Amino acid sequence: MDISVITDTFDEWTDVILSWISDNGEGLFDFIRAVLEGTYDGILWLLQLAPFYVIAILAAALGSRLVNIWFGALAGLALILCAFMGLWAETMSTLALVMTATVLALFIGIPIGVVAGFSKALDRVLEPVLDLIQTLPPYIYLLPAIALLGYGPATALIATVIVAMPPAIRLTSLGIRMTPREFIELGQATGLTPWQMFAKIRLPFAIPSIMAGINQSLMMAFGMVVIAGIVGSGGLGETIYGSIRTLDIATSINAAIAIVILTMVLDRLTQSAVDRAKETDR
Amino acid sequence: MNTMNTINNANEVLVECQSVWKIFGARSSAAAKAVSERGLSKSQVLNEFNCVVGVSGASLQVRRGEIFCIMGLSGSGKSTLIRLLNRLVEPSFGKITVKGKDIASLNAGELRDMRARNIGMVFQSVALLPHRTVLENAAFGLEVRGIAKDKRNEIARAALEKVGLGDWTTRYPDELSGGMQQRVGLARALAADPEIILMDEPFSALDPLIRRQLQDEFRQLTKSLGKSAVFITHDLEEAIRIGDRIAIMKDGMIVQVGTAEQIVTKPADGYVADFVAGISKIHLVRAHSVMQPVDEYKRLHPGANLGVLLHASPEADIAELIDLTMQSDRDAVAVVENGAIIGVVTTRCLLRGVAGTSTAAVDVG
Repeated sequence: MDISVITDTFDEWTDVILSWISDNGEGLFDFIRAVLEGTYDGILWLLQLAPFYVIAILAAALGSRLVNIWFGALAGLALILCAFMGLWAETMSTLALVMTATVLALFIGIPIGVVAGFSKALDRVLEPVLDLIQTLPPYIYLLPAIALLGYGPATALIATVIVAMPPAIRLTSLGIRMTPREFIELGQATGLTPWQMFAKIRLPFAIPSIMAGINQSLMMAFGMVVIAGIVGSGGLGETIYGSIRTLDIATSINAAIAIVILTMVLDRLTQSAVDRAKETDR
Repeated sequence: MNTMNTINNANEVLVECQSVWKIFGARSSAAAKAVSERGLSKSQVLNEFNCVVGVSGASLQVRRGEIFCIMGLSGSGKSTLIRLLNRLVEPSFGKITVKGKDIASLNAGELRDMRARNIGMVFQSVALLPHRTVLENAAFGLEVRGIAKDKRNEIARAALEKVGLGDWTTRYPDELSGGMQQRVGLARALAADPEIILMDEPFSALDPLIRRQLQDEFRQLTKSLGKSAVFITHDLEEAIRIGDRIAIMKDGMIVQVGTAEQIVTKPADGYVADFVAGISKIHLVRAHSVMQPVDEYKRLHPGANLGVLLHASPEADIAELIDLTMQSDRDAVAVVENGAIIGVVTTRCLLRGVAGTSTAAVDVG
């Protein structure tokens, strides 16, 4: 028997299943799209409420408070540069996409991570799944998403959430599991209920690790949001994709610079939050 | 009423272990069964079941108001034994009672309640929560019991004042020295007002000067508050300084239980004797255990006049007896109880007491 028969049958089945899901789950996918796009639109609306210099000043203030005054000044100037390159709307769209995806990824990932921190069995099941998610090329996730949710930001968000979730799950689970033994013993000897043990002992010790997970999720989300330009995510990713197609090198470089600026500003800000969490955990 | 009870219950047993075993390992329950049915020894258990015996056949009683020290080297099972007392470790078999109640019979809620109210614990690692202030740490036990913030802070502040840290309430643990951190640990245990405090080598990591200071403070505080304590240590001098009674552990077994004097003067075996060898006896050995019977003294010193000797009580230690001997021009001191001379301590007796060979029964030239 020819091997290709098996693979062809498999491919056929995949198509059949996908179209069945898409036909029968229409209501569900409409709902998911509504939630995703609703959240995204809400955040974008908020970001566009203020003119660019207000956002730049806010970033500068936050940067000089959390990191140092030089970083704050640089962050503010860099964002103003984004506006002068004529990419302010796109920059804010990308920021809104990243924030929506990251928040959703954390919303799902942290609770799963907490449960995995307690349950060895779940952790054993999750480990290969997360490995798989992280080894597959990220644009793979765009394909089923575009089949089910169509062209637009919802597809970009779903794919980004999938890519951004693993670090949040892993590092939350690690943090919960790494509670120093003597503090578990303290909790037991003090007569803590299981819930108190979680809230008063395990969680506080896990915060630095969870914060590191948040930072990593954010970085993964940035990477994916650019790739998701292909499916019409809007924002800088789509600008780059569009300019590649027309060989408009100048615009694509401008957009790339804007992405680098946004990524570095958010990375440094969340990284300093991680450092702070570690410091209080001396 | 309350004081009456305390007086009446002075000899009340608060914690009791009856031939308690703890066996670690994959086949520990089979091993435990074999021990109870066939009376296997520790090495037989290791050979036959590949299980390690942590505690083997330990029996002890801790009375109200008593500081009970458990002394042993690392691996002797002392840390396991103390964790059996609040069921941080479940015994393989044997019975442990706290205030007359078999703790194996407690359900999860009752066990939590007992740990929160009756048995406090202080750890060698101190285990102060790094993200909480000293006051919040001291109030931790009360917080988890759901006591209102004002009330628990007030109690915690009082406990911190007792250990001399009243001015440090708003600091964080890493701003404190090791000795101060351990004081916070003690305050945290005291704030919950338990009857029994388990001390798991609390002062082992401290430098000698601070350690001595804390030992004295701990003993004084425990006695003045009328608490009972089980105190684990690997340092015999610490056990002697702190404990009313001392249990010596070796290889999971309690080899001797007694007062410091009993252990120093009558070590149960060579192992204990080795430990005791380096201990200064002058504050431990008392007149009644080194004195010579009156008849014997008279036989050896015909014509000696007992009436001219200085008097000492049977409880006088060697240091006092040496002082008395130096004051008098005789080389002996009479030991007097209820007005009658019950024995004589000669210079030879004193030397023997200091050297550590026990009792006056040995020949006296």
